[in-house]
Amino acid sequence: MIALVRRRARAQWPVLAALLAVVTLGATLLGVCALLVTRSADVALGVAANRTDAEQSTVTAYTSSVSGPDAAAVVDATRDVLTSALAPFPARTAARASSELRPLPGRDDDARTYLSGVEDLPDRATLTSGHWPAAAGEAVLLEPTAELLRLRVGSRVHLAAKPPENPAPAVDLTVVGIARPLPNGGWDRDLLAGTGYQADFNDGSTMRRFPTYGPFLIGFDSLVTGGSSLSRMEIVARPDLSGATPATLATVATGVRDADPRLTGTLGERAKLTRVASELADTLRAQQHQQNITEAAVLAVAVLATVLTAVALALAGRLTAGLRAAETSLLSAMGASPVQRAVTAVVEAGAIALVAAALAVPLSALVHSGLSHLPPMAGAGLATGPVLAGAQVLVVVAGALSLTVVLVLIALRAEAPHGDRGRREVLARSGADLLLVAFAALGWWQLHARGTDTGLIEVLAPALLLIAGAALALRLVPPALRVADRLARRSDGLPLPLAAFEAARRPQAAAAGLLICLAAATATFGLSFDDTWHRSQRDQAALAVGTDLAVALAVPPMAGQGAAITAATGAAVVSPAADRGLAIGQWIGAGTPPRLVAADTTHANELFRGRVPGDQDWATLTRGLAPGGPVHGVPLPAGSSFAVSATGTGDIPLTTTPALLLQDSSGLRTTCTTAAFTLDGARHPITGCVPVDGMQLIAVALPLDTAPGYFSAGDISAVTAELRLSAPVGELGTWTVASALPDSGQVLTPALAATGTTVRLTAKVQLGGSWNQTPTLVATAFRAPRTVPVIISRTLADGIGVTTGSHLDVLVGNTGVPVDVAGVVPDVPSAPGAAAVLADLDTLTRVLTAHGDPQSPVDAWWAAAPARNDVAALHLGTVTTRTGESARLTAGPLNAGLPAVLRLLVPAAVLLLFAGMILHVTHDLRDRAVEVARLRGLGLTGRQIRTVLLGQHAFVLIPLLFAGALVGALATWIITPLMVRSETGAPPVPEVAPVWPWAAESLLILVLVAGCSAAAGIVATIQARRAGAAQLRVAS
Amino acid sequence: MTAPLVTVRGISRTFGAGPTAVHALRDVSFDVEAGRMVALVGRSGSGKTTLLNVIGGLDRPDAGSVLIDGEDITGLDEDGLSQLRRDKVSYVFQTFGLIPVLSAAENVGAPLRLARTPAADREQRVRLLLDLVGLADHAEQRPGELSGGQQQRVAIARALAASPRLLIADEPTGQLDADTGRSVMALLRGVVESEGVTVLVSTHDPVMMALADRVVRIGDGRLEQ
Repeated sequence: MIALVRRRARAQWPVLAALLAVVTLGATLLGVCALLVTRSADVALGVAANRTDAEQSTVTAYTSSVSGPDAAAVVDATRDVLTSALAPFPARTAARASSELRPLPGRDDDARTYLSGVEDLPDRATLTSGHWPAAAGEAVLLEPTAELLRLRVGSRVHLAAKPPENPAPAVDLTVVGIARPLPNGGWDRDLLAGTGYQADFNDGSTMRRFPTYGPFLIGFDSLVTGGSSLSRMEIVARPDLSGATPATLATVATGVRDADPRLTGTLGERAKLTRVASELADTLRAQQHQQNITEAAVLAVAVLATVLTAVALALAGRLTAGLRAAETSLLSAMGASPVQRAVTAVVEAGAIALVAAALAVPLSALVHSGLSHLPPMAGAGLATGPVLAGAQVLVVVAGALSLTVVLVLIALRAEAPHGDRGRREVLARSGADLLLVAFAALGWWQLHARGTDTGLIEVLAPALLLIAGAALALRLVPPALRVADRLARRSDGLPLPLAAFEAARRPQAAAAGLLICLAAATATFGLSFDDTWHRSQRDQAALAVGTDLAVALAVPPMAGQGAAITAATGAAVVSPAADRGLAIGQWIGAGTPPRLVAADTTHANELFRGRVPGDQDWATLTRGLAPGGPVHGVPLPAGSSFAVSATGTGDIPLTTTPALLLQDSSGLRTTCTTAAFTLDGARHPITGCVPVDGMQLIAVALPLDTAPGYFSAGDISAVTAELRLSAPVGELGTWTVASALPDSGQVLTPALAATGTTVRLTAKVQLGGSWNQTPTLVATAFRAPRTVPVIISRTLADGIGVTTGSHLDVLVGNTGVPVDVAGVVPDVPSAPGAAAVLADLDTLTRVLTAHGDPQSPVDAWWAAAPARNDVAALHLGTVTTRTGESARLTAGPLNAGLPAVLRLLVPAAVLLLFAGMILHVTHDLRDRAVEVARLRGLGLTGRQIRTVLLGQHAFVLIPLLFAGALVGALATWIITPLMVRSETGAPPVPEVAPVWPWAAESLLILVLVAGCSAAAGIVATIQARRAGAAQLRVAS
Repeated sequence: MTAPLVTVRGISRTFGAGPTAVHALRDVSFDVEAGRMVALVGRSGSGKTTLLNVIGGLDRPDAGSVLIDGEDITGLDEDGLSQLRRDKVSYVFQTFGLIPVLSAAENVGAPLRLARTPAADREQRVRLLLDLVGLADHAEQRPGELSGGQQQRVAIARALAASPRLLIADEPTGQLDADTGRSVMALLRGVVESEGVTVLVSTHDPVMMALADRVVRIGDGRLEQ
């Protein structure tokens, strides 16, 4: 039998070469997929871990109340815990600590101060004068502290010792530098948040509040070895995750999870509170999950490629069996037993499998390497040279052997008596496609109902659906051809009608039809899935960012930031924005609490991003949210100062905390306020804001309350307050003054006047009573609407059962704001899937001010169409761009495998289709040579014979190709919304919108039609040329 | 004596070259009168099929000329030869040569479609011819559903469909049993009588030879008469 196989191989090498090519192609695809889900996946995890944001990869240990003598040991122990938790990766640590509060000498107001040590201080602040502390006793002050304490470089300060129960030795400090905190420099973790001063600070150790100044920034080592007790300390460890592997990442995740109890155990009683916080373990778990999602999609493609290859092989095997029919009969007649023939088939198939595997292993390594050097894998840092992996070799060999089983089965099937086989085939075909449809429906249902996890069904579903669709489509082709047959009968000519008859009546090879239909479906589905996936990722990115460029501010916004951001981005529109939590009564909806998003809706189309339903746009959706017209306040020269003096009649002293609302040229509104003071007629400067060019005063709020310890039962006080500016006020034509809403009737006869540089506010205020709000006098340069019109997300609408036209009361900060629902949208920009409210920031600010809360709740900047992105250099906070987020989602290391393998699937499907087509028509060439020659005998010209043959193939092929494309399109609409997942594995938000890229699909179908036509045309031409006496002689 | 419909002069045909060349025809010349049935007789490999193919324009001679109805077909191009086969020459093959996917009626109507005969005329002619060959009741059956003899009758009806001047039959009874073969031969003879068609038939069958107006013997590529 071996000899027979060898001789047959020599004689039939073109056939065997075709079989070998198909098996090699399939095994190569499997090998590439194996490398993508093993080698590339491992590399991707490492790259993703290494690219993780600092905030997500750092591990921070917090300790508090550390006794001075223990401080140095606690620092060392904490560092050890952190670095060992991050092993085997090297980690860099940075520590900062603050001492307990201690009295500030020479003050009669019980003022306090504290020492701080920050290891990487030059990265967190910038020196305005002097130098950083280098020796014990040297200190640097923040600008506000130095100014308020009237200290400068060279000043000396003596801090007295503290009692033994909270030890702090006396320390003499020399100011060696003045520094300005850098935004995003971690000053939010300073006791005073880097402000340098707080009028009524409470450190939690007592009930009392103190005016607190500081910190005195000294060397970290000086602090922990100086004997001062530490009120708080934090050490941040940042691992270097380069070269990470799944195993080392698993180790570090476990280490980080265990670090918290280890630190507590290690420090024991030496620290009052200890905590280790890190997002690293969760981040790594999320990355692994995301990788699993990509792997599932890659495996789904692998299954699809395997099914396609198996169908191609079934066709090739069937044609080969037909070619060998006579030989098989002869062998049978010569006495070869079925077992011997089976052994022959197995030996031949095994040899093909081994040769194919030997070719596919290096080929798959090369293809994988090539793929990894192309976008998106190359951009994702996944480029790799040709590699051989155990899993790859195993998959290739197993795949090649499994595929060649098809050949063995077909060879054995050819042995079966034809009568039995025919009956079995009819039965099988009638039931198999229906069974496939049932399985596909089950797969779809499972896919529809699944959660965020990936599983077998996700891997099998696309292949099941496509093959079921192709099998069903095959059933539709014969009726279509029968119509063509009926039409052809009416014709008087011969070539085209004969082609139609041939197509409609000749039993077509089911395997060829299935392959052509399935390959066309796979290729078109591959293209549309790729486009749909990319579109969904872009949609997710757009909605998540909400705009083109967003800056989430780490510190409160400052006047002039808008101009700086405009300069750093070149953006067409820059708007301050609010993006924060919102209280809506007892929120009982699912998921996270509601969010408030507010920005300039007069530029909604330019500013907002995120898909909107139908043919609407954001400008249409947000129409009516913005107030009418801009605000014209009192212009303020750069560097203006403010002071308030106020008096109130009656026996009960009143206090106030005046607040000014300023607006800069970019529309940013900031609040200026001061500590509460008694209405004593004295001038109280309002600090904390420094007007820049183009600023205006647009509102003043004067809350009035009885002084602590006093109680009023309805006394009326005539209040007069004068706000003095450093420039003339001018006319207050558009200004109004009123009681803050909701008006309790406590503020009577409010009045407003301007003279020179003074704004004068007067009113009678009824004190006490049962009102639970502070009477507040509000003067504004604008008219505020009674309610804030908003549009809300579908999640919020469903969660609280409201719809367009509904009225709600929400809490922004501590201020209740009435809102009217002007519309419901699927999602609000920057709040995908969340219960969210979208408002116009100007309107919201006006209504807040009218309610006695003159603030603009800004915590972000949004920029439209930025020409560049130099915002990071401004150190304002976290910068996110739509394009960056889109690139992360589409070409990130954890996602890049999917588009890469889809781009491999499409050419593979096309290749297999062409291979199947060539095999089919070549077989036809051989099978019908005599028949074609007789057509010539009938008097058909060569051209007419070509028309008959080409027409016959076209009648079969074109419906099959279009049926395949139809199946691909249906699969796109049915399954891609379920296949495309967000990075968490959940359904994407916004919902996936299936994309059918008409241009690419048309081109693909054109290529398929052209390729198939070329193959059929060449064969028809050869057949027409060969049709002659020689063929007739063969027949005779 | 009637004028010859077919005039063959000095035809030679060689396949291959060099020592392995096969001289299928060597300087063959003969005439076939119109309305006659001529049997071409010879052993296998004697050159009968080659001669019929050359006369029918399916093959080209290396030398010599063939005149059909006075027209030298050896100078015709492929389209001219196709036109010849469409208008003047019909074939009946040993293996019937029917188109498997067409019914008997459609097979017979194929040459008429080729001539773009209107449907009504075509159907009438098809019915007539199927009546002539005794298969009117089998018009809708496909070749696979007919016996060998019936298939050959359909082939003869198809050959007559376009009213050719010359019908070439290459061993038309070769695949048939003796009785069926005889009935087919009788049909061909009847066609000569009724349609006035000239029939050139190759055969080994003595009955066929007996039915022929003339027997031409060929051996080793040469005429032996």
